[in-house]
Amino acid sequence: MPAVSVRGLVRSYGSVRAVDGVSFEVEAGEVFALLGPNGAGKTTTIEILEGFRGRDAGDVRVLGIDPGDRRSGQQLRSQLGVVLQELAVEPFLSVRQVLRRNAGYYPAPRGVDEVIGLIGLEEKADAKVKTLSGGQQRRLDVGLGIVGNPALLFLDEPTTGLDPAGRRTSWELVRKLASEGTTVMLTTHYMDEAEALADQVAIIASGRIVAQGPPASLGGRDQGAATIRFRLPDGVTLPDLPAEVTANEQSVQLRTDRELELLYELSRWALEHDVRISGLTVSRHTLEDVYLQLTGGDAERFQSESTAGEPAPA
Amino acid sequence: MSAGSEPIVAPRSALGELRLVLRQVGYEQLTFWLNPVGAIFTVGFSVLFVVMLGASAGSSRVSYLHNVKLVQYYVPGFIAYGVMSAAFNNLAISVVIRRESGLLKRLRLSPLPTWTLLSSILLSTLLIAFAQVVLLLAVGRWAFGVHPPAGASGIAALIVVLVLGGLSFAALGIAMSTLIPNQQAAGPLTSTVFFVLLFLSGLWFPLKSGSTLAKISTFFPIRHFITAVFRTFSHPGASAWAGSDLLIVVIWGAVAAAVALRRFQWAPLRT
Repeated sequence: MPAVSVRGLVRSYGSVRAVDGVSFEVEAGEVFALLGPNGAGKTTTIEILEGFRGRDAGDVRVLGIDPGDRRSGQQLRSQLGVVLQELAVEPFLSVRQVLRRNAGYYPAPRGVDEVIGLIGLEEKADAKVKTLSGGQQRRLDVGLGIVGNPALLFLDEPTTGLDPAGRRTSWELVRKLASEGTTVMLTTHYMDEAEALADQVAIIASGRIVAQGPPASLGGRDQGAATIRFRLPDGVTLPDLPAEVTANEQSVQLRTDRELELLYELSRWALEHDVRISGLTVSRHTLEDVYLQLTGGDAERFQSESTAGEPAPA
Repeated sequence: MSAGSEPIVAPRSALGELRLVLRQVGYEQLTFWLNPVGAIFTVGFSVLFVVMLGASAGSSRVSYLHNVKLVQYYVPGFIAYGVMSAAFNNLAISVVIRRESGLLKRLRLSPLPTWTLLSSILLSTLLIAFAQVVLLLAVGRWAFGVHPPAGASGIAALIVVLVLGGLSFAALGIAMSTLIPNQQAAGPLTSTVFFVLLFLSGLWFPLKSGSTLAKISTFFPIRHFITAVFRTFSHPGASAWAGSDLLIVVIWGAVAAAVALRRFQWAPLRT
């Protein structure tokens, strides 16, 4: 049984379809990222799964429970961990007091000291929350999300506003939880975050899923043309090569779908003519290329051409 | 509907439910008292008012109110004020702050049952009010010689009036919170409404019946609540009950509860 299963989910605000026919599944034990620009429908989708918001249409199961069914709400919430987009921590209680209070809401919570260790706040355990730095408060927020020992953890933009070190710490924590078997569903608008953490990524734009798959092959980025970049010494011109060549002051770029042969040609030419080639890279689409292509100006076209929610080649 | 998953939350026993409520009341109290500015502002004000007004009133009497000494009006008056400031003013502001900072939403997403949270907040509010009442009774008795209601029926009347009044004004406070758009507006809006109505209701100067202010204040619950508390002090025995005044307060509370239930929001309004 998947941890989360969503079929044809629709939610409108007035005449705006914030979520417009979204379907996906999150397998148990997986880290699943919902990636998209602001206003794409990420938070609305998450809030429907949490049972906080109702839906207009579609079939939703979270841990086998329909989150729209109020009677099983408490049973569902006792197995969920939630970290909201906004920081929400009592300012006047200590770290330990807040964690102990919330632990008591759950049937089988983690130990408070264990959580304090996991979020790395041992030194601040008895400090009032309002004396913590923004990053430390954010970590406490995550601690409140996991204190109930959830089977499924929702992280709504967990690293927005954190410095690079804080992001790395949060990523480590997510990986650790995932390795212990917690299913994690996160939203983010950071490409590198989705790439670093997620087993599966769904890109959402204007309420529709426009691509879905493992981050390495999302949008077919493991196939198709590659880009070879390098620098040439001044005054040297390339011979004719079977590729689309563009050059600017910093580098030369060759686009090709036969990169191995092209590299061979390039190397042979360089060695024969004793040309020094520097800064050589070979890359395919970055996730950012895919994302911008799918959510940016081209998103409309892409949506009309492809069936929304069609899975990308795995 | 949820076939395939066994309920892992066993229904709690009544004792377990009660323990959960008391536990939450404890944390509500901790949260209130650990915020020194809020605690002093809410609890200290009523005592400060009584000391200042009681001292400046000296031995002056109110000819149109059974010719009682002014301080004999102020002590029950500010007991009513203390209950209202905890239940209306403080509760309205703190609900807005908790809602807008996402604390209510987070609680809503935890398995803590809504009714447990609500009853804990109400109980905690009554406790804060009760702390002020005890302080004011002591100050009134020992500093100004104002005797608290005596006898079983007088004490019972005082307790019933304060509990029903406290719950009614708490409902008004929560209803008020639903009308406030953001944290910055919470203090100014609530306090303005509160203090204007307090003034109209004759908290600082007892109103002459038949005066314009007295007629205006009849529409609002504050004067009726002050009158009901005052009566438990001034009328010993069975006549300590100001039934119609208390009824009007409770009707206001019931209407407010209906508004609160209809309009209450868990998530910040700004998003």
